[in-house]
Amino acid sequence: MTAQRTFLYEDHIKLGARMVEFAGWELPVMYTSIIDEHMAVRQSAGIFDVSHMGEIVAKGRGAKAALQRLIPTDMGRLEKGKSMYTCFLNEQGGIIDDLFIFMLSDNEYYLVVNAGTTEKDVEWLTLNCKTNVAIQDVSGVTSKIDLQGPQSYNILKKIIKDDRLEGLQRFYFFTGTYKGEPVLVSQTGYTGEFGYELFCINNIISRLWNDILDAGKEYGLKPAGLGARDTLRLESCYSLYGHELSETISPIEGGIGFVVNATSDYIAKDIIEDQKKNGAPREILCLEMMDKTIPRSDYPVVYNKQDIGAITSGGFSPLLKKGIAMALVKRGLVTIHDEVSVGIRGKQSPAKVVARPFYKYNGKRL
Amino acid sequence: MSNIPENLKYTKTHEWIDVQDTYAGVCGITDHAQEMLTDIVFVELPEVGIEVKAGEQVAVVESVKAVSDVYAPISGRITEVNKLLEDKPELLNSDPYGEGWIYKIDIKDKYELDELMDAAAYAEHVAQGE
Repeated sequence: MTAQRTFLYEDHIKLGARMVEFAGWELPVMYTSIIDEHMAVRQSAGIFDVSHMGEIVAKGRGAKAALQRLIPTDMGRLEKGKSMYTCFLNEQGGIIDDLFIFMLSDNEYYLVVNAGTTEKDVEWLTLNCKTNVAIQDVSGVTSKIDLQGPQSYNILKKIIKDDRLEGLQRFYFFTGTYKGEPVLVSQTGYTGEFGYELFCINNIISRLWNDILDAGKEYGLKPAGLGARDTLRLESCYSLYGHELSETISPIEGGIGFVVNATSDYIAKDIIEDQKKNGAPREILCLEMMDKTIPRSDYPVVYNKQDIGAITSGGFSPLLKKGIAMALVKRGLVTIHDEVSVGIRGKQSPAKVVARPFYKYNGKRL
Repeated sequence: MSNIPENLKYTKTHEWIDVQDTYAGVCGITDHAQEMLTDIVFVELPEVGIEVKAGEQVAVVESVKAVSDVYAPISGRITEVNKLLEDKPELLNSDPYGEGWIYKIDIKDKYELDELMDAAAYAEHVAQGE
């Protein structure tokens, strides 16, 4: 199967992007430098093509109740125009996918899911939403751009002229217009910075992308690739499906225990509530390398000569200028300030267990 | 277009060797290699004194995104490594043929040099996108 291309493919090539395959899509991993793109997002702004992500609409009188059964997060926390982060659970308490739910109205929800899991999610939703709910996969007609960084507001206000933009709070969204077409503007992101996620139909995305790039020139906006997206989310300790999260990892284990707050019944509630109360078998640790080595996914983590788990995500932190990682390990063996070691190419490199996250959500808007 | 000095010999895997006399060479990675890697943030140097065979993995360079092996262009014994790279791996990006050299080697068999590419052949190799 050949990789799919987003509607911005030609724009990426023009910008000199280096393309890679990710989850069946051909996407830019970087344009000039992951470090430069990372720092642009931390200091001014960056723009990402994340059109590969999946979007699913759940509509109907039964939508709210059906979704509530699938997630450990209280649907009551939503209101019209608000979104929340959560996950779908399987019967064993593992994660089918992590997602954002946007409440469009009492009977209509917009779900933003991972690219590689969209098909599986649609099947899961269809199987579990039988009464008074219609499930529609709109990924194929939807493109998505993330504009992230402290200058995002100054840039976007030149493009989306809408009174609602200025006062838009974190996790809230509205549907504005661009070139006469609707654009869902959400104050959310995956970088640890203030910013927006923008959803629109495919045929205006190239114009929107280029207009934002032009508007951002005076603010130091840079196009940013998947490489920077990954280092940014790693510094912020945002779990990534396929790394910290999977069908055999629970939300408590995978570092997203904060999504567990529903009081009503949901799939695997017993298991999840038990883990919340009594602890899960494993936990995510944050590690900072004490030498100059760089931890990568799957490297073993050793404590007292025992293998206690493995790195789930690791890399070089452009901000801290050292190797950092999240690791899934047996719970309760080590704690903050303890020293563990990471097996790198047959040698042990020392690492310190540090507080989560490496970089606190900044939220600064210039 | 990347820089490919005339006086060096090259491998298909994007290493260079500067043959200083019949028995000694300086080795590193090419400008093209550093361009492909971008943002080099770690170098694992070989141990001084070890013997390597041509084509054998001898060092590791890591960019933000990826881990890449560096192979020996020629058989021989490592005589010196560029310790400066431990603190400044970015020298591989800024000066791959100069301050970014990785190690020096005593050449075991000078006839192996005939297996390597000259600048023109390497330029063609790069142009073919290999």
